[in-house]
Amino acid sequence: MILLEEVSKVYPHREEPALKGVSLQVAPGEFVYLTGPSGAGKTTLLRLLYGAELPSKGRVVVGGTDLGRLAPRHLPLLRRRLGLVFQDFRLMPRRSVFENVALSLEVAGTDRRIVERRVEEVLEQVKLSRLAKSPADTLSGGEQQRVALARALAPGPDLILADEPTGNLDPENALAMMRLLVGDYVGGATVLVATHDPTLLSLVRGGRVVHLERGRLEEAS
Amino acid sequence: MKRRGVVGRALRQMGEDLWLQGVAISTLAVALAIMGAYLALCLNLNQAAGRLLTGPTLLVVTDPQVRPEEGRVLAAELARLPGVASAAYVDQQEAMIRFRRQLGPQADLLDDLETNPLPNAVELVLTPDLAAPPELAAYIKNMAGVSDVVTGRPWLQRLERALRAGGELAVALGILLFLAVVLVTSNTVRLAVHVRRRELELMALVGAGGGYMRGPFLVEAVLQGLAAAALASLLLWGLFVLLAAPDALPWGLRLGQILAFPPLLPGALGGLAVVSGLMGGFLGVGRSLHPREVL
Repeated sequence: MILLEEVSKVYPHREEPALKGVSLQVAPGEFVYLTGPSGAGKTTLLRLLYGAELPSKGRVVVGGTDLGRLAPRHLPLLRRRLGLVFQDFRLMPRRSVFENVALSLEVAGTDRRIVERRVEEVLEQVKLSRLAKSPADTLSGGEQQRVALARALAPGPDLILADEPTGNLDPENALAMMRLLVGDYVGGATVLVATHDPTLLSLVRGGRVVHLERGRLEEAS
Repeated sequence: MKRRGVVGRALRQMGEDLWLQGVAISTLAVALAIMGAYLALCLNLNQAAGRLLTGPTLLVVTDPQVRPEEGRVLAAELARLPGVASAAYVDQQEAMIRFRRQLGPQADLLDDLETNPLPNAVELVLTPDLAAPPELAAYIKNMAGVSDVVTGRPWLQRLERALRAGGELAVALGILLFLAVVLVTSNTVRLAVHVRRRELELMALVGAGGGYMRGPFLVEAVLQGLAAAALASLLLWGLFVLLAAPDALPWGLRLGQILAFPPLLPGALGGLAVVSGLMGGFLGVGRSLHPREVL
């Protein structure tokens, strides 16, 4: 599902490369924790995977698509196969929960009836059906993150990339979120969760752990 | 739950920021009003020039002993000549009445004249395709009852040349003004894109294509343009009503004719607003919706 070959990323005006010769292979359906302290390069690696950055060196392949060779106009097609979850939720604050979740289907031109059915389905899975009409900014942090997850799950993605998904949540909500990510709801998708919090690994066991340290990758387990 | 098409999404994003709409529409209305005032002035001047320049003409002065009936017979004869579009006999009294009308408020200058110095004449309007007016003039001059043929009015020819050059300059200036309106539109769209930057980046992250993101901005630019065109038309109509005093100008022209509100102006401004909205929308959105440029 994911293939990184000797990937390096150097940002202008920054001495130290964000990533140095990173190679990684993730099989379809695999659950992977990407750990490492803040500034280790986890977010950069995820940004390379969803095409927000291009590598300075090396090759990034997602679902058989070499992102270095992908024309920008084809990037939306790749992103429709991904589910992205961020620490800061990235919701449209004044829009309803339903509208936020429906967005990932609407952008792909999905039929209206299918959108309605699918959004109701995923809101049921993340236990937010009763809040479907509520504006996103009236929800608690845990609820907002579940809306973000529902949005990521709605199109039935092949790959879910979660960047510190529990960073803004209390332990109880963090556990609930992780359970959703490892549960049946992801529909066999590959999941890559970036976190700097080692306690998260103990919350939900299972899955491979890869560790990033100052831009270099170490396989932990 | 309600889902919206591109127009619905545009209307919703417009409704979410009424202050921005106010700024955009009023800015565009000012730009379109300037463009509209310029268009109206050009159209009115063009019409005024049309009244002055009636195409190639000849004035056939009759002998003093030629009576009005004979003058009308001569006019009919001249009208049959090849290259002559029309011929009309104008006696000296009628010519004086016309002259007084053309002088307007200055007509009392003629009161001191003891006799009418204007001759009886036949006015000829020539066809525009006439190859050799001087030859026709020479032929007419030899006809019985003709005293003189006034072949041209050099000052009118100079005016015609000046108006033609002025017309070309007006078109160039009009294009510049239109580009300025496009620039204003593109800047208002850019402002709207900037205000909604976070939302657009979010759309890009979930796989929205350029068309999905750009569509509402183009519709918004067009709707803003149409609203601004209506506002500008109203503004100009009021201004023209205020400025169009009944005072007469030389050559029988009236200020009300030069500063008349052209009935087609609102439609023309609407059309300009749509075109500039689409062009400005494309330019304004431009690279700011690049899919790699996300948070």
